[in-house]
Amino acid sequence: MRNGRILYCVFLLFVAGYAIYQASGWSFKTALFPLAVSIPLLALLTIQLVQIIFGKTEVDSGAAVDVEFSSDVPPEIERRRVIGTFAWIIGFILSVFLIGFPLTVPLFIFSYLKFQSDVGWLGTVVATVITWGCFYGLFQWLVHIQFEDGVIQAWLGL
Amino acid sequence: MLDAFIDGLFLVLQWKAFSLMLVGMGLGFCVGLLPGIGGAATLALMIPFVFKMQPAEAFAFLLGMHSVAATTGDITSVLFGVPGEAISAATVVDGYPMAKKGEAGRALGAALMSSLLGALIGAVALALAIPIVRPLVLAFGSPELFMLSVIGISCITSLSGEGARGQIKGFAMGLFGLLVSTIGQERQSGTLRFDMGMMYLWEGLDFVPVLVGVFAIPEIIDLAVRGTAIAGDQPQEKLSSGVMDGIKDTFRHFWLVFRCSVIGVFVGILPGAGGGVAQWMAYAHAVQSAKDAKDRERFGKGDVRGVLGPGAANNSKEGGELIPTVAFGVPGSGAMAILLSGFLIMGLTPGPDMLTKHLAITFSMVWTLAIANIVTVLLCLTILDQIAKVTYVRGSLIIPFILLLVFVGSYTANNQIADLVVTAIFGAISYFMVLFAWPRPPFVLGFVLGKVIETYLFISMTRYGFSWLTHPTVIFLIAVMAFVIVYPYMQKRRWRDGSSDDA
Repeated sequence: MRNGRILYCVFLLFVAGYAIYQASGWSFKTALFPLAVSIPLLALLTIQLVQIIFGKTEVDSGAAVDVEFSSDVPPEIERRRVIGTFAWIIGFILSVFLIGFPLTVPLFIFSYLKFQSDVGWLGTVVATVITWGCFYGLFQWLVHIQFEDGVIQAWLGL
Repeated sequence: MLDAFIDGLFLVLQWKAFSLMLVGMGLGFCVGLLPGIGGAATLALMIPFVFKMQPAEAFAFLLGMHSVAATTGDITSVLFGVPGEAISAATVVDGYPMAKKGEAGRALGAALMSSLLGALIGAVALALAIPIVRPLVLAFGSPELFMLSVIGISCITSLSGEGARGQIKGFAMGLFGLLVSTIGQERQSGTLRFDMGMMYLWEGLDFVPVLVGVFAIPEIIDLAVRGTAIAGDQPQEKLSSGVMDGIKDTFRHFWLVFRCSVIGVFVGILPGAGGGVAQWMAYAHAVQSAKDAKDRERFGKGDVRGVLGPGAANNSKEGGELIPTVAFGVPGSGAMAILLSGFLIMGLTPGPDMLTKHLAITFSMVWTLAIANIVTVLLCLTILDQIAKVTYVRGSLIIPFILLLVFVGSYTANNQIADLVVTAIFGAISYFMVLFAWPRPPFVLGFVLGKVIETYLFISMTRYGFSWLTHPTVIFLIAVMAFVIVYPYMQKRRWRDGSSDDA
C-alpha cells in the first residue's frame, strides 16, 4: 500500500511538473493561471511525498470527506476483481471503437451476464433483448443521438 | 399583485397547460435518471415543440421538465453512485454510502423531500425577489463574481480531511481540479493548452464524462470487488420505514435545509456560477454544521445531512436562476439561456414587461416550479420502496446495466468515443484517489470552478487592473472568504476546548 501511495503521488507530481514545463513556453497571460495553480500543487505534493516516505503512517491524516472502499475481501481476490472490472471497461470501449455503440450494447450485456454473472441462457437473452430495445427506442428512435460507426463498419463500407 | 399571483395559478391549472406540464415532468423524470442527457440539452431538444403553445403552456412544459430533472437526478446518485445530472454529484458522497448501509429508502426520502423544500423556497424567492433583485445583480460585476467563485474554492478547507496532511491533500486535489480545468483553448488569446495534439481537447474537458468517471467507476469497481448487492447483507425490512425516516430527517434538520436552499438561490441568481457550485457549497456548509470532530467524521460515510444540503440547493437554485433571466434577460446558466430563447419564441421580452404587463405569466412560472416538484415528489414517494429494492439485487447482475448507463451518459456529452476514454481515465484516477484517501470533492470543486475563475479574473484585470481589489463588495467578499477558510480551524479549536473542559 505504501508503495502505491508513493507511486500515485509521483504520478501527480509528474502531472504538475509537466504543466509547469508546458506553461513556461506560453505568453504571460496564457501561462498565468496554469502556473499559479501548478506551482503550489507541485510544492504540496512534494511535502506529501516526503511525509509518505519519511513520516509516520496515515494516523494524522484525518478522515477525508469521501467514501471508503470495503476492506473485508482478501487482497488477492480484490486485485483480481479490480483488474477484471477494468478489463470489462476497456473491452467495452474497444468494442465501441471497433463495431460502434449500437452493436456493442447487446454484445456487452450478453457477454457480461453470461460469462461474468453466470446467468442462464434464457435470462441472458431476455435481458439482452430488453436492454437493446430500450437503448434503441430511447436514444436512437426518440432522442436521435448520432452514434458513430465502428472502424470495422467503415472498413467494410457498411 | 395578488390578482396576478392568483391568475398565474389558474394559468397553470388550465387543462392544457397542466397536461403539458405532466408531459414535461415525465420527460424530465427520465432525463434526470440518465447521466449525460442534462436538463439543458433536453430543453434545447424540446424548444421546437413550443412554437404553437401559449406562453403559460410553453413555460409549464419547459419548466416542468427542467425542474423535475434536478429532483430525479438524485435517485441514481443514491442508488448506484452515478450522478444522474452533473448537479447531483455531491449527493453521491453520502447518499451512496447510505444505500450501502441498507438505507437507500431513507436517503431517497431525504433527497426528494429536501428537493421539494428547496424548490418551494426557490419559487418563493423568485416571487419575492423580482422587484428588489435589481441592485444585487447590478452590484456584481466580474471582480465580485471572481471573488464569489474563490469563496466556492475556499470551501475546500471544509471538504478536506482534518490535520495538516488532510488539508494538504485537500488543497492539492483542489489545485489538481483547477489544473485539469485549464485544458483546452485559452479563451482570451486562443492559445491551446495541454491539448496533446488532439482536437478533442481544444474545447476542454466536458463536465459529464469527467464527473461520471470520477464518481461512478470507483463505486462500480467496489461493487464488483465486494461481490454482494449494493446494500450488502443489510436486512431488507429497513426499506419501508426508511423513506418516512428520510422525510422526518428533512424536517429534523429543517434549518440546514433552509440555509442550503438560500445558498442555492443566491448562487443561482449570479450568472455563471450554476448548480455545480451551489451543490458543493451547500455540502461544505452541511459538513460545517457538524457538532464536533466525531460528528464531522460521519460525512462521507452515509450521513443524511450530506444528502439534505445538496438536494435542497440543487432545486432552490432553479428559482434563483430564473430571477435574472426573467427580470433582466441575463441567463443564470446554460439551461436558462435556452429558456430565454423560449421567451423570444413566445414574443415576450424579459425585463420590466415581465414584472408589469406579463406578471401573471411570471407568477405562472413560480407556480409551475412549485406544483411540478410537489407532484413529482408525491409520485416518487409512492414507488420509492420499489425503487430502493434494486440495492438488494446481486451486484454482478446490475453492474453491466450501470456501466451501460455510465458510458451512454458520458458519450452523449459530445457524441465521441473520446468521451468514453475520458470517463475511463478519470475513473481510474478517481479509483486510486479513494484507495489512497485523497478526497474527491475538492477536485470536483476545482474542476467545476476553474474556467469561471480564470475568465472573471482575466476580465477583472483587463477592465480594472489591480484596482478591483479595492471595490467595497470585493473587500467584503474577501472577508467572507477568510472566514470560510478559517472557520473549520476555529471550529476544531472549539471542539478541542470543549472536549478538554468535559475531561
